Amino acid sequence: MYSAQITRANPTCIILLIDQSGSMADPFSGDSARKKSDFVAEVVNHTLHDLVIRCTKTEEVRNYYHVSVIGYGRTVGTCFSGPLGARNIVPIAEVADYPLQVKSSYKRVSDGAGGWVEIPVRYPVWIHPSSDGKTPMCEALGRAKEIIERWLLEHPRGFPPTVLHLTDGESSDGDPNEIGRQITSLGTDDGAVLLFNCHISTRRSAKIEYPTDENSLPDGFARSLFEISSRLPSNFLAAAAQLGVNAVEGSRGFVFNGDPSSIVQFYEIGTSLTGMTPYRWMDDRTELA
Amino acid sequence: MSSVKQSAIWDLQLRQLLLPKLGQEVSECEDCIGIDTEACRFAVADGATEAFDARSWAHRLARGWVQRQSTLTVAEFRAWVAAEGRELHDSWNSLNLSWYSEEKARTGSFAAFVGVELDLENGAPSWKAIALGDACLLHCRNGSLIKSLPISRSESFNAAPILVASNSSLHDGSMTSVVIDAGNCESGDVLWLMSDATAAWYLQRLENGDAIASNLFDIKGDEELNSFFDAERLAGRIRNDDLAIVRIEIKQRSNG
Repeated sequence: MYSAQITRANPTCIILLIDQSGSMADPFSGDSARKKSDFVAEVVNHTLHDLVIRCTKTEEVRNYYHVSVIGYGRTVGTCFSGPLGARNIVPIAEVADYPLQVKSSYKRVSDGAGGWVEIPVRYPVWIHPSSDGKTPMCEALGRAKEIIERWLLEHPRGFPPTVLHLTDGESSDGDPNEIGRQITSLGTDDGAVLLFNCHISTRRSAKIEYPTDENSLPDGFARSLFEISSRLPSNFLAAAAQLGVNAVEGSRGFVFNGDPSSIVQFYEIGTSLTGMTPYRWMDDRTELA
Repeated sequence: MSSVKQSAIWDLQLRQLLLPKLGQEVSECEDCIGIDTEACRFAVADGATEAFDARSWAHRLARGWVQRQSTLTVAEFRAWVAAEGRELHDSWNSLNLSWYSEEKARTGSFAAFVGVELDLENGAPSWKAIALGDACLLHCRNGSLIKSLPISRSESFNAAPILVASNSSLHDGSMTSVVIDAGNCESGDVLWLMSDATAAWYLQRLENGDAIASNLFDIKGDEELNSFFDAERLAGRIRNDDLAIVRIEIKQRSNG
């Protein structure tokens, strides 16, 4: 299971589900200058950037992935706009061709001889931060389920879809447990749909990352998210290990009270997939592992 | 199969096979074979699927190395790779690249490489080899493995080997992993150069005491071989990857 080769003929689907409720305008604890929504938008843009680069073959982007970015807050719907805006799921080659803007900058990197050199870098932007309204988590998960059901009709044998859900608070439209179970009951010949959940917190509370059981979880909401979080398949565990994250056999794809580094690692691990190199946008990218 | 007279005493019998991933065109194959029978130099390079312009890089390494003199020390190899890398990067300057191609190109290209040079001029033939990554040289005698480098066990293949980088700023870290080795041959010995998927498969077969792999090239024609490896990949016994194999059999000439 979770071993299907991801090819253009047999692509996979990645859904990024983002809480854009009003509370996302609050800062992380200990970092009053930075809104959670700003940081999450930056990480999502970097994640899309990385998925594009992975699929780039010289002058072509191959459609190994089809990507959906769904935001939920005042409304529920795609975070893409511009030419991509009308569609819930987009082949990665089109994601590559239609960022809203491509920012240019310079980055200082080692010159390999003890000095430093500035090199040009590009930062494409597909989504802007948003934070407004309540937290209609169940409706958002329902939207993800619809996308997955349509995907599975055409791709019943590929690497199963992955849903990376990030939220900073409790659902305002009911317990997400039922719809979460419905999502993870779907799948392909290669395994059940993967649903990973990352809860981030404004409060200064101990974070719980990739637990194997509910014992350490503080409340019913945390347990509900834990229950609908998939176990990390071995490929993802290997990616976690490379990142120095303490995840073991039986660990769920679940973070509670996460901080900014938890978010980055959550997307790195969640998009590692079969045989893919973990995503390290915060490292010096010229120092390839 | 081609038979090449290499010295008054020794012949080489060569076979090679190069197949793209199932479902891909030959033009998309990122494995490359280099052969120079005059110099008795043979190489396989396996361009990293996720790298920029990996096919060009693999071609430069495999075809360029066999035309070189020596390049069998780390220092020589490093200097040569750096020069080839600069030429590769220069070739990209004239391209009008999209943002994502620019980003990808900035990291450069990567490939696994193995090259071997045979010396048949002396009474006892010998080889010297250099390798970086997971493309392998296997030295077999009577169907048994004598030596395999840089990887000797099938379970040692992984998804993230250290590769030959076109970007020389990465060489401080990577060139320390270059493997250099040498060996002596007897008549009937076979040297195999293989990219990772077939090397892993072949080593596993040998570990399991399965002789089919070593006899395969004796009993099958080119079309049959292609079909055999397609079937092995379809069945999942070989990973669906590009395949490059060079089989070099060293034979003492009957009239030698």
